[in-house]
Amino acid sequence: MKNLYSILAATGLALVISGCGSSSVSTPSNDTLDGKKLCNVESNGIETVLVTAVQYNKIAKEHGVEFKRLGMTNTQYIVGSQEALKTGAKRVVLLNKKGKPTKNSVTVSYAVERACKFAVSALTQEAEGKNTWRAAVPGDGFKY
Amino acid sequence: MLLNIVKSTALVAFTSCVLHAGEFNVQAEKDRIALGDYMVAKFKDAEKNKDKFFPYSTDDELKNNIKKDIPLEDFSMGNYAFSIQGQFSYNEIKDMPPYEELIEQGEEIYNDNKALQKCFPDVTIAGEYPYFDETKKEVVSLTGAINECLVSAGQKKWNEKKGKMAFVQSYFAYSTTEAEKKVDMKITSADAAAAYERGKEFYYTQRGYLKLSCATCHVQGAGKRVRNESLSQLVGQTTHFPVYRLKWGKDKVENGLGTLERRMAGCVKDQGQVPPKTNSKEMKELLYFMAYMSNGMNVDGPDVRK
Repeated sequence: MKNLYSILAATGLALVISGCGSSSVSTPSNDTLDGKKLCNVESNGIETVLVTAVQYNKIAKEHGVEFKRLGMTNTQYIVGSQEALKTGAKRVVLLNKKGKPTKNSVTVSYAVERACKFAVSALTQEAEGKNTWRAAVPGDGFKY
Repeated sequence: MLLNIVKSTALVAFTSCVLHAGEFNVQAEKDRIALGDYMVAKFKDAEKNKDKFFPYSTDDELKNNIKKDIPLEDFSMGNYAFSIQGQFSYNEIKDMPPYEELIEQGEEIYNDNKALQKCFPDVTIAGEYPYFDETKKEVVSLTGAINECLVSAGQKKWNEKKGKMAFVQSYFAYSTTEAEKKVDMKITSADAAAAYERGKEFYYTQRGYLKLSCATCHVQGAGKRVRNESLSQLVGQTTHFPVYRLKWGKDKVENGLGTLERRMAGCVKDQGQVPPKTNSKEMKELLYFMAYMSNGMNVDGPDVRK
């Protein structure tokens, strides 16, 4: 059963990487993406959520808005999660800013959900920012 | 008669060019003045204006740590312009600044490198970078210009954040400060104005998993405290680079001096986002906007920060 999951995950990822899977994930405009819904591991399954993370993080990188938490980029969360699913590891080890493993780790489902939410949030925030940034400019939208 | 027509035409053309060139910085000037007015108003009397500008600060902090009536020019000192306690330790460090020997190293590197001497015959140019290159249609940073100079002479690029790059820039900054020059930013075309606007948008846009903009901390947040640090203000933020940060130099003095790009990359990381590459269009346009906000202020680098 475990092997079957691994094969399914690997196939899904291979499809995404090759571009064949892109039509299987809905692509609404970036400001209407619902991270909570899209990244729910329980309802969508860990492989699907990881596929979503890969898809949206790719766009976030292209737009220059990829998230990074402490020393770890979202790409590293994704790679760590992919490795864990491949090897059957239960936890993803967190990396420091030099890319070296730390003593801390999170469960695979937590890492996948975080990677997905980070990818989606980067895009929704980018879209939102286009309409809100002027509100902080003195002499423009910012009043005091 | 013909000569008069030629002269008049030339005069009209020249005047038109000058007026037209002046138009492109209208928005940037409005932004710079509005920002300066905001900072001056904010720090006029922090204690009295607590509700408006510092609702979460303690009375004691506002009374004993934030100076009053700060003139615009003083903001080039960063948060030491208003932080009484910060200025006390700053003055002590400045008695014997840790970057002095690094300026000397920068001067030696410059004097030993003919390519650099050829590309930068005048070393008092720290206030003129970054600028918009009308031929290349892009912003040129001092870091980028130095590396381009090295590469064109068949030499290897330097690290864009520290080391030789920061040492030579500190020599340029020191020489510019000694020459009492000011930040001299220009916006003379629609392309330059567009680059400025993109830099401005980057600065004011919330980003990263913490959803912070640069302005959250350094415009609206300027003067507020994070842990034990008072946040510096955007006005004057670029006048003193490269800076020696005690944090960077804790293991090795040579690592303490860093370029503005190094600092900005760190800031964007703190917001929770992968920072733009040091010599990327985004980074250079961000620096262009920031430098414009300090236009006309004295260059006073290099300097020391925590």
